[in-house]
Amino acid sequence: MTPFLRNMFVIARRDFLAIVATPTFLLFLLAPLFMIAMGLAGGMGASQLADSARGAGRIVAIVEAADIEALRAADDRLRPAFSRGDAPPPLEFRINSPATPDPVAIAREKGTDTYAVLSGPFDSPRIVERNAEGSAGRYLALLANQVLRDRAAGDVAPATPRFESVRNGGSSIALQQSLGFGAVFVIFLLTLLLAGQTVSSLAEEKGNKVIEILAAAVPLESVFLGKLLGFLGVAVLFIVFWLAMAMVGGFVAMVQMDPTTLATTQNANKATAALGAMPATGWGFFLGIGFVYFILSFLLLGAVFLGVGAQAATVREIQMLSLPITIFQVGMFSLSAAAASAPGSSLAAFAQVFPFSSPLAMAARAATDDNIAVHFLALGWQAIWVALVIFLSVRLFRSGVLGGGRGWKFWRRKTRAAQATEPR
Amino acid sequence: MNDFSVEATGLSKYFGDFKAVDNVSLTVPAGSIYGVLGPNGAGKTTSLRMTLGIIDPDEGSSRIFGERPQTVRHRIGYLPEERGLYPGMKAREAIAFMGALRGLDWSEGRRRAATFMTELGLERVIDEKVRKMSKGMAQMIQLIGSIVHAPDLIVLDEPFSGLDPVNQERLEMLVRRERDRGATVLFSTHVMAHAERLCDRLAIIARSQRRFEGTVDEARGLLPMQVRYTPRADSDPASVAALLPTGAEHRGDSWFFPVEDAGVEPLLARITGSGLGVVGLSITRPALHDAFVHIVRQVDAGFEADAGADAVEEALA
Repeated sequence: MTPFLRNMFVIARRDFLAIVATPTFLLFLLAPLFMIAMGLAGGMGASQLADSARGAGRIVAIVEAADIEALRAADDRLRPAFSRGDAPPPLEFRINSPATPDPVAIAREKGTDTYAVLSGPFDSPRIVERNAEGSAGRYLALLANQVLRDRAAGDVAPATPRFESVRNGGSSIALQQSLGFGAVFVIFLLTLLLAGQTVSSLAEEKGNKVIEILAAAVPLESVFLGKLLGFLGVAVLFIVFWLAMAMVGGFVAMVQMDPTTLATTQNANKATAALGAMPATGWGFFLGIGFVYFILSFLLLGAVFLGVGAQAATVREIQMLSLPITIFQVGMFSLSAAAASAPGSSLAAFAQVFPFSSPLAMAARAATDDNIAVHFLALGWQAIWVALVIFLSVRLFRSGVLGGGRGWKFWRRKTRAAQATEPR
Repeated sequence: MNDFSVEATGLSKYFGDFKAVDNVSLTVPAGSIYGVLGPNGAGKTTSLRMTLGIIDPDEGSSRIFGERPQTVRHRIGYLPEERGLYPGMKAREAIAFMGALRGLDWSEGRRRAATFMTELGLERVIDEKVRKMSKGMAQMIQLIGSIVHAPDLIVLDEPFSGLDPVNQERLEMLVRRERDRGATVLFSTHVMAHAERLCDRLAIIARSQRRFEGTVDEARGLLPMQVRYTPRADSDPASVAALLPTGAEHRGDSWFFPVEDAGVEPLLARITGSGLGVVGLSITRPALHDAFVHIVRQVDAGFEADAGADAVEEALA
């Protein structure tokens, strides 16, 4: 091992242990639990709200008693064509009589949301609807139309379709793009959660004056890289921990839950569909390269934040940097997400080449494009930028913070040299 | 083998428009203890930092063991002026970490840390966290950390400041032991007593420039020896004054005056031949402290004279 690498690992080891061997790290590690708990609470609330809203809604048909069966049969046939979320509200019947309230009055009845009310003959029904843009009124019109058609056609045996589901081998472009977007989102989220910490990583050394010892003992490049590596180790530990938790959770769910229930769960169906969509490069490569791109994304953004944070003189300045840092990350995410939705476009090409969005955009590309060689090229390109950012950060740190570099003001050196040679 | 561990030539450094170090050269013989002396703000620390390559000089260059400082970092131990340790680290780990930075194996670093700390009477805090230590203790830990890898060059910036007399003595012992081991020790201080006891050679920096370079004796030799002569009580003061060099001060029973090295024997001959008697006579060489103050005052006087001349020029213009 070269002295540079050895120094880098010494720094990385120190930083890794300094972070991990503290009670605060436990809080950091378990922080997603709070996020999950909040998400669950919010989701349950929203779900209850949606369910209660769904339960309270209705569409109403004011019809003769003889027409109820025909209308119900039409509703039974048409309703299954809608997915659960898009289905019209439940249909209620009111028998037409002089005592029946006016449709407008029914639409305004309290205690429930009435989306549409049908009245009058089926060939020219009157439909009062709550929202002209909604589909409830059109559905009632469709039902009326269906009753008329049924009557005109007489007794026709209903079709008995045989449904076949294609679960595997589905590699639709839309699903692959979804996978690409998923990769972008996961890498972005992890980088957002984990890379931002690097901004304050040199604050400790500056605060307790260790920086001069480090600067005297090892190249600053290895200090910067070592710190990045230490933080990357923490990030990887974090990911491994939660992956393990997810796997344990998944295993427990498989053992404890009834497989039929599991399979019929709507979300499980979606997950199955996504898993059925093979990324263009294959699952193994896609997951592997996704992890490597996360590392590169972490190193690239971490190097920028480390370099910028190293310039900060006070904790307050570091705190002030958190907003631009988040905006920068969101910007890279937006660019990459746009690229993921338009594979092969010039925007995608730009996002893949622009160094700070490159890991995200290339991860998305791995989902839709089976060219594997281009990823190795991209990794090399990104690694060069990591080195470049570190190099520039160190130069800035030496000249700006240590006050010792030859700095960027080369013209001042020339002026001084000229002054020094002038006869006095 | 190179005769000089450090060869820094013409180092200059600007901070803004202020020239903090102006054409300073340091040549430190291998295996010696070399002091860089100077008043506060003279440019000692900046000179040491440039010498070690921690900061780049605007002019001049530095060689350590004949090479660029950055290439021989592992052979150097450095105690900066601003002490710094990770507060959350245990003493033994902190020392091993500093050794590891210079290429020493962690386990060997821990072992040597324990040995050093025991020798220096710090064994009870071996596994204590740095944040729980006194400032002086932490400083000793850092000092051990800077020599734990047995460096060939040890650079200590104001190593004695903040230490109590007992630890100062321990540090002096450590410095001598390292020199005896074969290491070169370069340290800065503004406390003359340490320099006088330790240094084989020294440089005095004042107002950004090196004003003196040589041995302690050579520095002390910059000033004449001081004589205190007490004649017999019944001596006629006028006769005594005629016997002594012009400017001799008469205070109480005694006379005080300087004498050059070459003038000592003729003076003794004159006194013994005068018949004025000798109740007391002491001839002492000035301390390094006196030489230092003399040099710094001369420099300051020169600066004030220059400033006065500049003010006159400006007024005339």
